[in-house]
Amino acid sequence: MGYGDVAVAGEVAYRQMIDSITEYEVIRLDLQGTVRSWHPGAERLTGYPADEVLGHSVRMFYTEDDILAGRLEQELRTATETGRYETEGWRVRKDGSRFWAAVSLTPIRDPDGPVTGFVKVVRDLTERRDEQVAALAIEQMLDAITDYEVIRLDLDGNVRSWSPGAQRLKQYTADEVLGRHVSMFYAEEDIRSGQAQKELATAERAGRCETEGWRVRKDGSRFWASVIITPIRDQAGEVTGFVKVARDLTERREQEQLVQRQRDEILELSTPVIEVWQKVLVLPVIGTLDSLRAARLTEGLLERIARDQAEVVILDISGVPAIDTDVAQHLLKTVEAARLMGTVSILSGVRPETAQAIVHLGIELGGLRSRNSLRDALQVALHLVGVGNVAERDTAGV
Amino acid sequence: MSDEVPILRVGGNLLVTLQGNLDDSTVEQIENAVTSEVARTAASGVLIDVSGLSIVDSFVARVIARLVAMVGLLGAASTIVGLQPAVAITLVELGVPMGHVRTALNAEQGIALLRGARDERVH
Amino acid sequence: MSVFTDQAVLTVSIDGEADLLRVRSVLRAEAQQVGLGLTAATKLVTAGSELARNIIRYATHGQGAMAVERLGREDRLGVRAVFTDDGPGIADLDLVMRDGYSTGGSLGLGLPGSRRLVDEFSIDSSPGQGTRVVIAQWAR
Repeated sequence: MGYGDVAVAGEVAYRQMIDSITEYEVIRLDLQGTVRSWHPGAERLTGYPADEVLGHSVRMFYTEDDILAGRLEQELRTATETGRYETEGWRVRKDGSRFWAAVSLTPIRDPDGPVTGFVKVVRDLTERRDEQVAALAIEQMLDAITDYEVIRLDLDGNVRSWSPGAQRLKQYTADEVLGRHVSMFYAEEDIRSGQAQKELATAERAGRCETEGWRVRKDGSRFWASVIITPIRDQAGEVTGFVKVARDLTERREQEQLVQRQRDEILELSTPVIEVWQKVLVLPVIGTLDSLRAARLTEGLLERIARDQAEVVILDISGVPAIDTDVAQHLLKTVEAARLMGTVSILSGVRPETAQAIVHLGIELGGLRSRNSLRDALQVALHLVGVGNVAERDTAGV
Repeated sequence: MSDEVPILRVGGNLLVTLQGNLDDSTVEQIENAVTSEVARTAASGVLIDVSGLSIVDSFVARVIARLVAMVGLLGAASTIVGLQPAVAITLVELGVPMGHVRTALNAEQGIALLRGARDERVH
Repeated sequence: MSVFTDQAVLTVSIDGEADLLRVRSVLRAEAQQVGLGLTAATKLVTAGSELARNIIRYATHGQGAMAVERLGREDRLGVRAVFTDDGPGIADLDLVMRDGYSTGGSLGLGLPGSRRLVDEFSIDSSPGQGTRVVIAQWAR
């Protein structure tokens, strides 16, 4: 379509047509991109009246970045070479505000061929773009959730949407599940008992259904899942479907089981702890303590305390040949750790040499009770756990 | 990562359970919930259940200590309950001062301890 | 006695509090794989948590990373974690490694404490050069 060959009468009709376009801008540019025509639609879009635009470069509507990047020249060149240039980008109004525009540039040619100008059509896409950006952001967010499954079910429980997280979790691709009933992921025993239907009914009734249970992947393997089902309601409040979020808890469960095994192992590694009374343990510390042995002793003792819920622990050091700062430090740390758990410790088997060494070394026992004989320590212990009349009562705080 | 902080009433005491990931906002929620519950119920004691914490670094230790302090300012005694063995050893090695914090093996022992603490105060 | 690193290096970027969970779970998983006992694993993860919190709290825009790898030495396996950040760096290393040093009413950088929790600990830092802390824990 070349403006050049339209007859004068046709030109008037054409002018009228362009003028009637109020939602678009349809203008003519010359070879350099100078604006050669204007109309009400263009004014409405950009806020500029004709006299402020005609004779000026169309660059005036571009953003600074685009101007610096030589965007106009690129566009004109591309339009000339390929016959049409379409793009989307920011344009600037008279008041400085920006709008997101769909732009097309079409070259106008003389009958003999050379380009004499361009027709530029601009459309404001701002509103549509905002919606698009929001929709894209939500899509990206959902896709980013690969550790969870977030899917939609219809009222009957058939799968209506799938997600990368769901695929990762259950191994099925979308076309393998869409339209099928959600019970396909449940374990056999749950399918028979109608578990899925029960959960959907609960979600509908209570507004939410949160459960844990076995689910089955495509390859038949099971995993322990945490599942939350919530109903989707329309504006009238009627339930039209459900959203199901599921998470694989297998790892956490395995983790818990592993930790329990480790704790059992520590107990088995025979730390020689003796339960002499209910809630009273005695740990005979014998021989020299290298740091490895000392650490094992402490671990074993603390695990026993946890297992037996021991309120008092007697550390008997009569079997320790010589007390030095390292041994003392280790004992004190053990005592403090036991205290943090809620257990009181008593040091027993403190021989005269030991008492001297402790004081000479400047070791502070703090509030740690200590006794020369195991028997004395036991008396204190029994008092602490509330057993009968014990002579130690008055000195219990020592 | 709870929207509601789990706080139970046990007689004249409150039991609050610390678990999961304690980030700044969760901590704030917990502090708000505990202090207002203590005031509202005029609780004389607070049991802080830490049995679910498998990692207690210095930040978490300070959170606990601060909670104890806040509760104390409201006139209630508090007790840490159920610290795991491995966590206890680690805390001692880490060197965070926890000397002033009352501790108990379990809720039952904690309640007995709090009763004793209350009796001490009254006399 | 050579030390070799087994398998790839796992990197976790540390930008915010949300990354703490990942730091801890990666360390825990590696500790398990290598056979660290419960106490040794707890200490390693706790040290890692301390160092990661430092990065979040003090580094520029709280950005840094942890790189974890498994180690092998004769018949023992271990875990090494390197914590790096592009923060302001530490002017006086001796001071911060001293017990009892603290800034702003907290326990400072918790570095001396972290050091006590692990078998190996080294720190490199200077003002404007960021900080690099390497810790390692060996299975007994």
